[in-house]
Amino acid sequence: MDYKVQVGVQSHLEQMGPLDDRTMEDLDDECLFPSEMDAQKTQSVDPNQHISVSGSLPFNGNKMTRNGVYKSIKTVVFSNKLNLLMPFGPLAILVHKMTDSNGWVFFLSLLGITPLAERLGYATEQLAFFTGPTVGGLLNATFGNATELIISIYALKSGMKRVVQLSLLGSILSNMLLVLGCAFFCGGLVYHGKEQVFSKATAVVNSGLLLMAVMGLLFPAVLHYTHTERHVGKSELALSRFSSCVMLLAYAAYLVFQLKSQTDLYVPLGEEVNQNGENLDNNDDDEDEAPEISKWESIIWLLIMTVWISILSDYLVDTIEGASDAWDVPIAFISVILLPIIGNAAEHASAIMFAMKDKLDISLGVAIGSSTQISMFGIPFCVVIGWMMGQEMDLNFQLFETATLFITVIVVAFFLQEGTSNYFKGLMLILCYLIVAASFFVHEDPPTDDQSKQPGT
Amino acid sequence: MDYKLQVGVQSHLEQMGSLEDRSMQDLHDECLHSPETDARKNQTTYSNEPLPFSDGRLPAGCNNMIGHGVYRSIKTVVFSNKLNLLMPFGPLAILVHKLTAHNGWVFSLSLLGITPLAERLGYATEQLAFYTGPTIGGLLNATFGNATELIISIYALKSGMTRVVQLSLLGSILSNMLLVLGCAFFCGGLVYHRKEQVFNKATAIVNSGLLLMAVMGLLFPAVLHYTHTERQYGKSELSLSRFSSCVMLVAYAAYLVFQLKGQNDLYAPINEENLDDDDDDDDDDDDDDDDDEAPEISKWESGIWLVILTAWISILSDYLVDTIQGASEAWDVSIAFISVILLPIIGNAAEHASAIMFAMKDKLDISLGVAIGSSTQISMFGIPFCVVIGWIMGQEMDLNFQLFETATLFITVIVVAFFLQEGTSNYFKGLMLILAYLIVAASFFAHEDPTSANEKKQP
Repeated sequence: MDYKVQVGVQSHLEQMGPLDDRTMEDLDDECLFPSEMDAQKTQSVDPNQHISVSGSLPFNGNKMTRNGVYKSIKTVVFSNKLNLLMPFGPLAILVHKMTDSNGWVFFLSLLGITPLAERLGYATEQLAFFTGPTVGGLLNATFGNATELIISIYALKSGMKRVVQLSLLGSILSNMLLVLGCAFFCGGLVYHGKEQVFSKATAVVNSGLLLMAVMGLLFPAVLHYTHTERHVGKSELALSRFSSCVMLLAYAAYLVFQLKSQTDLYVPLGEEVNQNGENLDNNDDDEDEAPEISKWESIIWLLIMTVWISILSDYLVDTIEGASDAWDVPIAFISVILLPIIGNAAEHASAIMFAMKDKLDISLGVAIGSSTQISMFGIPFCVVIGWMMGQEMDLNFQLFETATLFITVIVVAFFLQEGTSNYFKGLMLILCYLIVAASFFVHEDPPTDDQSKQPGT
Repeated sequence: MDYKLQVGVQSHLEQMGSLEDRSMQDLHDECLHSPETDARKNQTTYSNEPLPFSDGRLPAGCNNMIGHGVYRSIKTVVFSNKLNLLMPFGPLAILVHKLTAHNGWVFSLSLLGITPLAERLGYATEQLAFYTGPTIGGLLNATFGNATELIISIYALKSGMTRVVQLSLLGSILSNMLLVLGCAFFCGGLVYHRKEQVFNKATAIVNSGLLLMAVMGLLFPAVLHYTHTERQYGKSELSLSRFSSCVMLVAYAAYLVFQLKGQNDLYAPINEENLDDDDDDDDDDDDDDDDDEAPEISKWESGIWLVILTAWISILSDYLVDTIQGASEAWDVSIAFISVILLPIIGNAAEHASAIMFAMKDKLDISLGVAIGSSTQISMFGIPFCVVIGWIMGQEMDLNFQLFETATLFITVIVVAFFLQEGTSNYFKGLMLILAYLIVAASFFAHEDPTSANEKKQP
């Protein structure tokens, strides 16, 4: 979670580069020219981005509001290459209304969600600057994977609990194997002379939490599979709900533990960033003046992004079955492999980028921290939400998926325990993910637990 | 793999000691009186070994050279190792097979006959590795290190006995990881019972990681099949196995690249390291000075012996695979038990002995290389290679080792990975590994393979 804050600080610094063309903030001129942002700068001068208010720094009060809105839109919407994908969102809705091609609607809405997910993370990090370390950490910990949660809640509403289970599982697998493997691999190639190191303690704690999540998932599955429940069908659900509460408790304790042991570490974060060559006087001096956007702006953008993501998630969940039929791949494969890879693209890219800068701790936080969050918070949270909704969402992920998660967690925990990384470890993790993806490609979900979408919700 | 090279150098130095009686090489006189070879000296003067060329005759005439070269080569390769006493069992097996129909005897005789050949094959490979430089040498060791198991497996595949292939490779992995390693730790720990022996943790962890990845590759087809969740029943699992095998082979190739790149600079000091450690004896000038003059046999000799030994092993493997079913009926033990427990133990005897020997000399890294390196090789190269060979042959060899065997491999890899992660060893760890192997062996004794009843040798 401190990784998320660090990520926020770092990615904020990255994204401030492209503002060059539309210099709104004089104060931040010093940090506009680190080498890695030059490439981004030249790439982000896209013809289709409106730069109508460049150069003018209005100080009059009556124009302030409107220019503030423009500035905000530019900062949030136009400052990231990934936002080129934004038009796909409305396009998906358009296609959905005009044609019946579920495959296309699914694909377009997936592409449309990707930049929104990244912007949501960005808005959350911005808000975290204003709320202080504690609430900021909580924000990051809860909303870090808000996109997956929103998609899952919509799927739950439609009664597609299998899609929920599979998409959350796929998120965990892709974060643990693919994102981490790519980060290790790329970092190892760049620094192939030495072995990169990361904080072993945090990695081990996260591995422990992941193992605990596997334990929570394993018992309902084994109970169901060995037909040894006391009340067939009911015991397993009750056990799942109880385990979910326990897991949420564990996650809360983990947050407390993290925050307590790192409250004193937050202040030096600003200076640590300064030592890296970037000026961040704003953070220390004045908390009202946002690094990029103000507090109210970030809250408003948070809401806007959430609403947008919800709309697109609705379409996504609606059309997943149609896409599966259209492309002739099982729903399991779409939920476990395709959905998380594309939805997680931004985190993926940032993890690789940080690894190539030898900031492997941040990459690890992005990858493994995200997995921990989903497994110990996301999954139990969905069970509880399902409980409230009256849906029978449980922790029994069926034997194949549970076994996959189990072996994956063990492999990753083993790789992490040494505290070092090199390109070979990254390659092995990526190849493991290939094997997992191939298994799900030939895996057909047994129809016994299949529930079709219930209309009208 | 560097372990294998070290093993090559070490075992070469060991075996040179036993050449004393037939001292053909003056250059190595200094290494003839090390304490650990004195005992062997006394033991190797057997009366039943023909010694047509008694000590002291060093023919220098050219016209005698070739004939003497052949004799010398045969002596070096064939007569220099105690284990080669078992060599006559090979032809004896063929004889028994032709005379009687007693499958049990033929099986055990061919098994005993293969054992020395396997050891000599490893020896020839190491000799050849001296001439080919570190890179190719490492590759040679990495590929042919377990050539015997691969040859037996290919013959079994040709006969359509895919289950025997799976079981024998699995048994090789289990016996290397538990029995060989356990004995090495145990004996080394007894000899050095005051201190804890240490080994290179990094390599052990990399190997454990590879073993875990192999388990992952094996687990998915088995779970897929067992939960009846394949898309196309019977076909999906086979294509998944073939895809996973290719991925595993790529991973193994990457591992070799990673090893070789990271140790190019480490090869030269290996000789000096050995010179430092073996205080009294070994004069290893040949290796450093002149690559053409073999430590024992020349490049062409090692190549020729490689071919000869491979041919011999193939012949005996054919008999082995033919008679395994008859032996199983004759002795009233399941084929699974023979394939998983008996075959690897006896076939692997030489590696077993060398691992124990190195552990007792506090060279635990080499023991680990022999044991765990062999397991890694079989699991990440041998098994996928057999799947691909089966694919080429049209046999349906897949990675679904059935649930019992996959679970056994899984728990074993976890146990061993856990034991290795500390980087130290003592006799208790060794004892625990050996006892774990006893449990595994007992399980397989009581285990009846559900599929073996359906498999008959296809003519």
